[in-house]
Amino acid sequence: MKKKFRMIHDENLCIGCQACSVACRSENDVPDNVFRMQVQIETKGIFPDLKMNMQRHSCVMCEDAPCVTVCPTGASFQTKDGLVQIDHRLCVSCKYCVVACPYDARFMNPITKNIEKCTFCYSNRVSKGLEPACVTVCPTDALVFGDINDTTSEVYKKAKESNLLYPKANLGTKPKVAFVPNKKGVSYE
Amino acid sequence: MNNVWGSMAQYDVINWPWPIAVYLFLAGASAGSIIIALLVKWNRHDKEVATIWDAMVKAGALISPLTIIVGLILLILDLGKPLSFYWLLISYNFESVMTLGVIALFLYTPLSLVFTALIFEDVIKKNALLSIIYPVVNYVKSYSKYAKKIEYVLFFLALIVGAYTGFLLSANMSIPMWNSPILPILFLASGISAGIAGNILVGMLFFKSSINKESIKYLLMLDLRVIMLEIPLLCLLFIGMFYSGGAAKVSAMQALSVGNWALVFWVGVIAVGLVAPVVIALTALKNHDYKVKFILFNSIVVLIGVILLRFYIVYAGQIFTGAI
Repeated sequence: MKKKFRMIHDENLCIGCQACSVACRSENDVPDNVFRMQVQIETKGIFPDLKMNMQRHSCVMCEDAPCVTVCPTGASFQTKDGLVQIDHRLCVSCKYCVVACPYDARFMNPITKNIEKCTFCYSNRVSKGLEPACVTVCPTDALVFGDINDTTSEVYKKAKESNLLYPKANLGTKPKVAFVPNKKGVSYE
Repeated sequence: MNNVWGSMAQYDVINWPWPIAVYLFLAGASAGSIIIALLVKWNRHDKEVATIWDAMVKAGALISPLTIIVGLILLILDLGKPLSFYWLLISYNFESVMTLGVIALFLYTPLSLVFTALIFEDVIKKNALLSIIYPVVNYVKSYSKYAKKIEYVLFFLALIVGAYTGFLLSANMSIPMWNSPILPILFLASGISAGIAGNILVGMLFFKSSINKESIKYLLMLDLRVIMLEIPLLCLLFIGMFYSGGAAKVSAMQALSVGNWALVFWVGVIAVGLVAPVVIALTALKNHDYKVKFILFNSIVVLIGVILLRFYIVYAGQIFTGAI
């Protein structure tokens, strides 16, 4: 069966340590001051009743990906498994995809001038049967990754026991990165 | 601010900066000027002797290829990897508005040059430098029986070039001000307005001898109509954003009220670009008087308005995305 990848970020387990971001940087040679992924931390409430929201900011691997549609050369494409990747040979860096992405996931690499983003570590890890770098280092297992069609996988179990939400679901882009919303803190919003 | 997660700089980059805004203006002006030149050539030449070309036709034939070529150079230089631009010509994605634009420009640009070569045939023949290319012009001329058909194709391509820049922006769901079906019509209309102004300006400055006052009056009347169309189109753009609610509404309110871009809109686009020409048309040029100074002034304010409209849409769109 065709693989159906999911990455789940459990915002209740996440402690905002940024180990994922550092791992991504070293695994994928990301230059200083630009990021393929970050966990952005937002503090809410009035002291002492505070709450911290941890939100993953990265490519969400849309099924209907605006970046793939707008790319004039086909440099932005989807693999057979539906993962959005970039062919740097075809990319002219017109930045149409950067502008079109509703998730602010893309940027121009200041050194190579290529457009980059999270790839789920597809070529360097996932295609070899490994997990993405961010998932392997997460100390609290807030990140879970795998094929959701495989009923024995961690991601399948996680998806079954949690209430998954998808970022900007109203846009209809059908992301493959889901999150479990934060229930800790003052208000249980 | 020193965020735990690191720098936010990459999210605040203006990904499409001033060369894009200038290109959008030049492409619109190019399309507009050739549309106007062809309209004058078809509709205003009944009584003319065939040897005398109207200054408006000459001006259009000059502006159209020059502006589009300069615009395309800017576009290529703005690429992150300018030297790999050739991929745009050999690797296509027919879902992408940019690809469709590349194809239209690939046909439009050489055809506009052919039009120029035919209009300025005599100049090319007599000029010491340009006469080198005369054999090419002569060869093109041997197909003159298809001239009318080629003009129709050129006219159609100009409509596409004038409108596609609007579609290029409106294909972005992430930017509320761009993601609107109004943009292509607005850009085509203001491009035609720029074409009229540019043709009149260049015609009056360089081709005085072949100026036809009747053509100028015809064009000024046309320009007034186009501007009267642009005003409701701009209103519709923002009304659409307001009624979309959410991020689009926030974006519209900020774009109309915050900082220098709101100033550019109200003063540059509205007052200088749209209200001033209407006022001039209703006062100084009333009854289509032929007052050269006012006509030139009118052309200049129209051009300023059209340039600022492109700058405003490009920048305010990217800055005020309505994201919270």
